[in-house]
Amino acid sequence: MGFLTILKKLRQKEKEMRILMLGLDNAGKTTILKRFNGEPIDTISPTLGFNIKTLEHRGYKLNIWDVGGQKSLRSYWKNYFESTDGVAWVVDSADARRLADCAKELHSLLREERLAGATLLVLANKSDLPGALTLQEIREALELDGIKTHHWRILRCSAVTGENLLEGMDWMLDDIASRIFTLD
Amino acid sequence: MSIAAKSLFWVISFGTLGYGLFTFVKPDDELLKKFDQGSKYTDARRVSHDTIAVLKEAANPNSDIKRLSRRDAQRLEKLQKAHRAREEVDATNENEDYFSGAFKIRSENIEQLLSHIPTLETNVLPQHFDNIKREANELQKFVVTSSFFLKEFNMRKYLGIVQNLQTKCYELEDRYVPRKKFGFTRKKLPKSHTQKENSMDENDGSGKTDSNKWDEKLFGFDSKEDKVLSLENDELFQRDVALRNLKNCTVGLRGVMGTLHITNLDNCIVLTGPVTSSVFIEKCTNCKIVTACQQLRMHSSIKCDIYLHVTSKGIVEDCDHIHTAPYNLHYEDLEKHFNMSSLDRNTNNWDCLDDFNWLAPDVPSPNWSILDVTERVCDWDEWWSKTPL
Repeated sequence: MGFLTILKKLRQKEKEMRILMLGLDNAGKTTILKRFNGEPIDTISPTLGFNIKTLEHRGYKLNIWDVGGQKSLRSYWKNYFESTDGVAWVVDSADARRLADCAKELHSLLREERLAGATLLVLANKSDLPGALTLQEIREALELDGIKTHHWRILRCSAVTGENLLEGMDWMLDDIASRIFTLD
Repeated sequence: MSIAAKSLFWVISFGTLGYGLFTFVKPDDELLKKFDQGSKYTDARRVSHDTIAVLKEAANPNSDIKRLSRRDAQRLEKLQKAHRAREEVDATNENEDYFSGAFKIRSENIEQLLSHIPTLETNVLPQHFDNIKREANELQKFVVTSSFFLKEFNMRKYLGIVQNLQTKCYELEDRYVPRKKFGFTRKKLPKSHTQKENSMDENDGSGKTDSNKWDEKLFGFDSKEDKVLSLENDELFQRDVALRNLKNCTVGLRGVMGTLHITNLDNCIVLTGPVTSSVFIEKCTNCKIVTACQQLRMHSSIKCDIYLHVTSKGIVEDCDHIHTAPYNLHYEDLEKHFNMSSLDRNTNNWDCLDDFNWLAPDVPSPNWSILDVTERVCDWDEWWSKTPL
């Protein structure tokens, strides 16, 4: 009996995934996380530090790390890179001004050795807002087509309406699972 | 054996004799008193009286308590003394206040040494520099060994100060004690040149005009001077509004916006209705901004007064001299606009901003404060139509 539980625990451990949620400040990382978790999203403060949520989804245990995106916190991002399976890069589609900044941060992130092989999901958040850039525009601005080192995908989404959030997460899970749980 | 028998004999015989006498006389209280009176003035009697008085005093419960409490006080005093002695040994050294005091003295000492440098003769300079370096190293060691009771943020702060002192020392050494033995000093020149170029680039980036290829997407005002600018709700409604590169302008935004970006404003007044999500303020100086929003994010701004209604939390980063006051704007449709924005009128956290450059929880950030009531603008009505002074 005891041996069985140990085996079960090991098995659960195998099904665990670590997902890092990054992006510039005000992109909506915390809002997306809270939306996933079914928490209210109208009282969110700018993240001073980080949030962790553990969710069960499709039999996987997801540890989602949402790290604050303020300029002074970005230098701490690297502390969270270890053993990350997937990166959700959240972009504010309505914030055209800082897309260049966003691209710069994203590409410096992708050069990071400890993130090599991690799946990249770009979430073009706030796409429901008037004045939001189109997916194609964001894709070009972030130079996504130049990324050869990671599996990536870009999706338009909205944390407020919930649009495409699950699709994005499902794609990321499938991609990670096909990479690390090949035995299943 | 015989001694024991003898003494037994004497005890028994005297005992029986005494008992016999006692039963025969049967002394009652009267008789005892008479005896007492008779022997009152003998010395032996007085001594025995005194002894009895002392013993009585000792047997008295009150005096017991007195004595006990006296001893207790003595014991406490002793404990306190020991405690004090211990404190003097450890705690004073392992206390943050003591540390910051000591650190200040030592760092000031180093600074003083540094300030002496220009006045000193060249032949004593190398020794002087060695001295400073040693002091700085010791100070660093002092900080590191104190790490177990310092908060991490403070620790980093102190280490930063030490680092500054060290680099200053090296710079001064480079200037005053050129190392003649080495011939590679030329290398410095191009480096400083590129540094200058970099800083020029930075200035250009953050300077008067901030532009990129997405400009045509912007909705709002850009590059204006000495103007009164305004927009109404039918244009603004839930849009992403941008104000950029304005100088001496008054901006009135009577409506509900989705997001508001305020970048590079100088000496401006911005009056806005409710903003559904966040307000971004960047690179602003000498501005008065009256706004209501869900989140406020403020970066690289100085000397701004924010009249704020924020339902979640406002933050500042790389800011200085920021003052906050509660939102006090009035215009005709404000209530209606508040209802449309679904901002909660009753929650307002205008008086607690988070400062990303100030992570010490117990000390308030020096970069922002609450605007004194006497200095607040109470009525904005006249400002809708005139430019700032």
